[in-house]
Amino acid sequence: MRDFLKSTRFKILLAFVAFLVGIMIYSVTKGGYSVSVESFINTISKPFRTVSNGIGMKVETSLDKLSRAEEIYDENQSLKKQVTDLNEQLNEYEALKSECEELRKLVGIKKAHPDYTTSRFCKVIGYTANDPFKSFTINVGSDDGIEPYLPVATAEGLVGITIEVSEHLSTVRTILSPDLSIAVKSSSSGEDTGIIEGTVTSAENGMTRLMHLRTDNTLKKNNLMITDGTSGLFPKGYSVGKVKKVDMDSNGLSAYAEIEPCADITNLTSVFVITDFTGKREISE
Amino acid sequence: MKLKTTREHRILYVKTALRWLLYYVVIFACFIIMCSGTWLKPVLLVPVALCIAVKNNLYASAVTGAICGFLIDISCGKLFGYNAVILTICCIIISLLFEFYLRYKFVSFLFISAVISYIQCLLDYKFYYEIWNYENSERIFTQYTLKVWAYTVISSVFIYLLFKMINHFLMPKTHLTIEETLKSGEQR
Repeated sequence: MRDFLKSTRFKILLAFVAFLVGIMIYSVTKGGYSVSVESFINTISKPFRTVSNGIGMKVETSLDKLSRAEEIYDENQSLKKQVTDLNEQLNEYEALKSECEELRKLVGIKKAHPDYTTSRFCKVIGYTANDPFKSFTINVGSDDGIEPYLPVATAEGLVGITIEVSEHLSTVRTILSPDLSIAVKSSSSGEDTGIIEGTVTSAENGMTRLMHLRTDNTLKKNNLMITDGTSGLFPKGYSVGKVKKVDMDSNGLSAYAEIEPCADITNLTSVFVITDFTGKREISE
Repeated sequence: MKLKTTREHRILYVKTALRWLLYYVVIFACFIIMCSGTWLKPVLLVPVALCIAVKNNLYASAVTGAICGFLIDISCGKLFGYNAVILTICCIIISLLFEFYLRYKFVSFLFISAVISYIQCLLDYKFYYEIWNYENSERIFTQYTLKVWAYTVISSVFIYLLFKMINHFLMPKTHLTIEETLKSGEQR
């Protein structure tokens, strides 16, 4: 041992340790910055470290997955449940939102037409199979105070009339049908009057037709047609549709106009029935 | 002919009940399909009623025809009973035809189905559109009636296959009881 302490190897090692201590003290004096050697090593080793770190992380994650499989499975199950609950809440929220919107529209209609008594918003259960005039069934019937020949509408405009009423369901004939005639007038002038009645050709495009117009009418594209209310079947002043095209009848004695209904009759989801209004005509059975 | 044992007798009852249950499940499913959506759809219940009529007795065919007819009336918004009358008459005729003159083959069924559904579609067009003199009512015939007829004929292929499968598994084979066999032996 004494020989070793006196040997050159010991002195060299001691010098090396002293050198390292010196470097250590030097790096302390750099105030947080790396010494140049350290920087050089870092630069050289950076890509290798990045790759190896990536591999290491993946291995660790895989091992972690394996070791925590049960825990992850449980967590997954609870998250799935949470997602289901949230989806349910979202559905509920959407339903409430649409109900709220419908009620808001109904309030708007009631404000605009205080004389109306309306049913609640009712769902369109389905369209009649293969009907060119798009008649449909709604989920309210005589139990809800619905009677035959009551006007059916959306907030946008008139849709049709109830023609067959059972306890819980009613069938609605739309304004695309040639079997339904509605007296209308122009909302702007009020002088251009006519009868809205569906035709086979116009119904193909979801349109209806305004007939028996005067040849000197002043109707223009996008003029709004509203109910005249003279028949007692429909309330006065309710939107029906917009003028799309005005042309002369083949007989040359009157004009006609293609009308685009305000409500999208081919894609209805909910409507309401106007059960009472000023000027309503009671229909005896 | 095969002898019918008591056990087979019981199986026959179960199979018959199951077969009719399946028939009515198919009828209900077809009704639901006809009630949904806004597209043109085949009148599925016509080939269904015919499929049942060709393989079953007269009364069962008539009743099924009436039920299918009522369901068509509801789904197509027609006068309640209108299609029931048409289909009942058709089913009775078809049941008799297949009992006495025709064999249960795909081609004969397809032909009958095409004819009956054409009659049904044509009557529908005549009574609900043409008779009322709607302007351009012939367009309804070309744009709706013929298309619906074509869809119905196409759908009858699938309905035939479906009923063939049900009948294959659940239609009872012709059997004789021991007593009947002995009696027929004695008579000979």
